[in-house]
Amino acid sequence: MAEVAEVAEVAEEYGVGIGWRPEISGFVAELPGLRFAEVVAESVHAHGDLPAGLPELIARGVTVIPHGVRLSLGGAEPVDPDRVRHLATVAERLKAPLVSEHIAFVRAGGIEAGHLLPLPRSREAVDAVVANVKRTQAELPVPIALEPIAALFDWPDDELSEADFLVEILDRTGAGLLLDIANVYANARNRGDDPLELLDKLPLDRVAYVHVAGGDEHDGLYHDTHTHATPQPVLDLVAELCRRHRPPALMLERDGDYPPAAELRTELDAIAAAAGYPVVT
Amino acid sequence: MQPTWGIPGPAFIALFLAATAGIAIAYAIHRTIAFRGDRSARVDALGAQQVAYLNGGDQLAIYAALGGLRAAGLIGAGPQHTLVQTGPLPAGVTPLDAAVHNAAGRQVRTRDVADDQWVRSALDQLREGLERRGLAVSKPALARLRLWSVAAGILVVIGVLRGIAGTMNDKPVGFLFPTVFVALAVLIGIRRTKRTATAAALRGMREMRSRHVHLSPRQSPAYATYGATGAAMGVALFGAASLYTMDPAFAAEAEIHRAVTAGGGGDMASYSCSSSSSDSGSSCGGSSSSCGGGSSCGGGGGCGG
Repeated sequence: MAEVAEVAEVAEEYGVGIGWRPEISGFVAELPGLRFAEVVAESVHAHGDLPAGLPELIARGVTVIPHGVRLSLGGAEPVDPDRVRHLATVAERLKAPLVSEHIAFVRAGGIEAGHLLPLPRSREAVDAVVANVKRTQAELPVPIALEPIAALFDWPDDELSEADFLVEILDRTGAGLLLDIANVYANARNRGDDPLELLDKLPLDRVAYVHVAGGDEHDGLYHDTHTHATPQPVLDLVAELCRRHRPPALMLERDGDYPPAAELRTELDAIAAAAGYPVVT
Repeated sequence: MQPTWGIPGPAFIALFLAATAGIAIAYAIHRTIAFRGDRSARVDALGAQQVAYLNGGDQLAIYAALGGLRAAGLIGAGPQHTLVQTGPLPAGVTPLDAAVHNAAGRQVRTRDVADDQWVRSALDQLREGLERRGLAVSKPALARLRLWSVAAGILVVIGVLRGIAGTMNDKPVGFLFPTVFVALAVLIGIRRTKRTATAAALRGMREMRSRHVHLSPRQSPAYATYGATGAAMGVALFGAASLYTMDPAFAAEAEIHRAVTAGGGGDMASYSCSSSSSDSGSSCGGSSSSCGGGSSCGGGGGCGG
């Protein structure tokens, strides 16, 4: 077997999707053009009923990707085999062509942080992530895409740039990239960098799909809240990304403070317009 | 020594039980016929308040109106569990919306809304519409059905008298008590029936509940996304608990009776409270008050709360 595993890639174009949440399941169900959605993997039981509304969505032909948040791929210790098995089972139950997880750690030394925490960008950290991703890939029936997380700070001893850190992990694991464009914007803005510069350093042909979300500025820092509307600069970045290499799917990630349906539809349409994909509303 | 009233104890008990069973069976047959309604009647085209009436009577219809008005930002809660207007009524609302909004303008207490004259007539209008469609059983028909409780009541009285006579005759009456209790249970069962929805309506609502499962409090629905119509339909199909999920502060201040729920389902009392939502306190603690028998307990609100 080759050192580089199969590259996670969503072969066809799915266009604009949305993060499926129970709170807005009735809204998602009524999007006529929807072909792609994402569900938090930990919210789906390995056995028993799927969350209400999901089976209908899948029966309609909508591709639903399980998105893990608790695997702790960036942890120093090996990933929990039970959690990996759960992710694999959920992927099979949803007939998903792909799963995704974060490059982050959520627990260390047996203590649960309850949050996605950023890794120091060291070679040691790369080794740890690569080892865990490979352990996970060995159990998964489908490819995995990895999502870097937003960080409001850098660790003092970072050896690698953000782009190099990512490329190294992707190259050694063959995983796809789940690009959070709102994160790219947030990180660049909070550090005073140019988001396009980072974009140009990323392997855009490896992007499996893209998260688009809203945020809010607070005390001079931009927070990637997922509870506000997507701001225009993020939509502009979507357009820039698609001009360079259009990913097969982009999805709105909204996690709370849900607005009226008309506003959500406007936001989905704005993403479609920025990406040049057909509207799904 | 002569048996009481010339009838031996075991024979009396057998006769008594036979009479009780006869009444129960006759009532059940009458009830099935009365609630058959129009088999072809559809509930799909009904508005939230009509569905709410079928599901939980006047009280739930009012709560559905409150849910819709609250979601639209037109009413709020005032001091002492009263309602207040917080916005002008738009065009195209239902008569019940208008009546409840008007009552809020006069700062009526939530529990007194049903006694408001305008609200009363809006509810009557709503009920009559449902009766015409064959979805609700008429009041006279329900009164006729309830007449069976008179027969059960007479039986209970006879049983009690027999008990007294037997005791005075120094006869054993130990078996009589549970026997009379059975008749009493039949009596209570007949009196407590609050259902008005016909079989077709119940069937239709079951189907609606599964189609609108996203409005179940279990999903912590984003009512802002579903709008006033969705909020009202959530209350209509899943009971007053929806008002607590939607706006716990308003529901508590307006003294909404959480236990006013679906009549047909009977499975509404056990909502688990997921903590998945991170917005302003989706509280739903302590909603485990059940009120047995699958019947709703509107009106006086005697149970739970």
